[in-house]
Amino acid sequence: MEDGTLRIRGLRKRYRGRRGALANDGVDLDVAPGSVVGLLGHNGSGKTTLVNQVVGIVRPDEGTIHVDGIDAIARPDLARALVSVQAQANVPITGLSPRQAIELVGRIRGGDRRAVTRRTEELLDALELGPWADTPAQKISGGIARLTAFAMTTVVPGRLVVLDEPTNDVDPVRRRLLWSRIRSLADEGAAVLLVTHNVREAERVVDHLAILDQGRVVASGTPGELTAPVRDALTVELDLPEGAAPDWPEMATPVSRTRQRAVATVPAAHAAAVVSWAQSRVAAGSLERYALVPASLEDVYLTLVGAEHDAAASETAGSRTPQEVPA
Amino acid sequence: MSRVRSAALLAQWQLRRQAQFMPLMIVVQVFLAVATVIGYGMLVGDPSPQAALFLATGAPTITLITVGLVMTPQMVAQARTEGSLDWMRTLPVPRWAFLAADLTVWTLIALPGMVLGILAGVVRYDVHLSLAPWLVPAALLVSLTSAAVGYAMANVLPPQVAMLMTQALVFIVLLFSPVSFPSERLPHWLQEVHSWAPIEPMAQVVRAGLAHDSFTVPGRSMAVLAVWAAVAVAGAMAALRRRA
Repeated sequence: MEDGTLRIRGLRKRYRGRRGALANDGVDLDVAPGSVVGLLGHNGSGKTTLVNQVVGIVRPDEGTIHVDGIDAIARPDLARALVSVQAQANVPITGLSPRQAIELVGRIRGGDRRAVTRRTEELLDALELGPWADTPAQKISGGIARLTAFAMTTVVPGRLVVLDEPTNDVDPVRRRLLWSRIRSLADEGAAVLLVTHNVREAERVVDHLAILDQGRVVASGTPGELTAPVRDALTVELDLPEGAAPDWPEMATPVSRTRQRAVATVPAAHAAAVVSWAQSRVAAGSLERYALVPASLEDVYLTLVGAEHDAAASETAGSRTPQEVPA
Repeated sequence: MSRVRSAALLAQWQLRRQAQFMPLMIVVQVFLAVATVIGYGMLVGDPSPQAALFLATGAPTITLITVGLVMTPQMVAQARTEGSLDWMRTLPVPRWAFLAADLTVWTLIALPGMVLGILAGVVRYDVHLSLAPWLVPAALLVSLTSAAVGYAMANVLPPQVAMLMTQALVFIVLLFSPVSFPSERLPHWLQEVHSWAPIEPMAQVVRAGLAHDSFTVPGRSMAVLAVWAAVAVAGAMAALRRRA
């Protein structure tokens, strides 16, 4: 056996009941100690089912799951001692303050009281939660609750840390702090499985990625490997004036078009030509603004999981920070 | 890590989570217990000493059963709906610890109502109690059994159905169970049902524990209650261990 902390082979799960959805369809996945593995997929792609099988909440139909060499299907109790999970839904902590909740979970997870107190302080500090640390939970915002849940999960981290959409509702400043905490968790030796559909942000912290679609891993590799096929392509984004239509140059392949926005890809070799084309349109007033960005993991992701999920992906596109080409 | 310690910490978590509404829940429990004693007295008119003793010694059972059978499933159903139950289940805590933690919390919540219900009965009807030494373990057994039944119910049924079931159970326990009145008053078929259901044995155990000069527990009732306790705890454990 390899020395991966998490090792999943041939995992298959079909839910009973009317719909009988096939949630996992032969999934293989490894998470090595010290690494962050991103599990990407749209809603309903089987990510949460996968996580629930690792901690023995859902029983797989077929396949094996090992956590640190322990058979997690036969001995979910032993597996749980090695895994800490941040669930996708926020755990309600009404009646407690973030500090109390983090400390209590740390001790439930078997942490020594003093070590837990110290580690809690450290996490509150690192995530800049100080001002809310002792506020009753019913008065804290969704983002603070999300960060509290992260701290509850990592106050006494397992050998495997599973984070299901940890950045939801978190403000951009704390998001960065959060990403750096996630990175340092791995650097301290934990195996981190990061479940997300925020492809853009995940790209920056993960060492390895698996893209899940309809219960199957449709691609896996490092971010570099996954984006290799599109390395020679650039994405052009246009902001159009009201009612204008883009007159794309020949080398552009249109991708999408909304009322005031159009996107196309162009071969990287034509970058200069596209810039001068776009610049002339800006000067003529038929274009308000444009940006030229390298084809990203998100583009790869969208190609892999298909156009029908475009709508879901456009949520994450809102957080992009394109490198605008200086005019 | 000590498993008992993690159960105690879990109980602390559940208690603190309820802390905000705890006073209200205790007040409701006290109301329920006192209302059963005094309110039933009004229904009956001027109860005979024997009927009064039934009322006074039935109230604590009603409190214990409603907490276990009604409030426990409501809380579990709520935890399932808000998604915290699944997360709690990812914690490295033995499954029985969840049951033990919740049981501790609910027994603590039921306690003031129980005690005040008994006091109200004593003051209102001037009944004479004779406490048996095994009253406390008997009350714990009743609490455990009803909470385990409630737990299993809430884990197996869809949350909304479980909530509705609890509403139905309140009526059954309050009006159609031989807790605050002797079972002879029920129609024959219902007496038959209650001879197999856990409610009557629970009432008998608590009643005999409170006034062991006047009441005894039939051996058969003890057996029925023991079987229910075993089955309910096994069911609750199975529900907690269940994997979808």
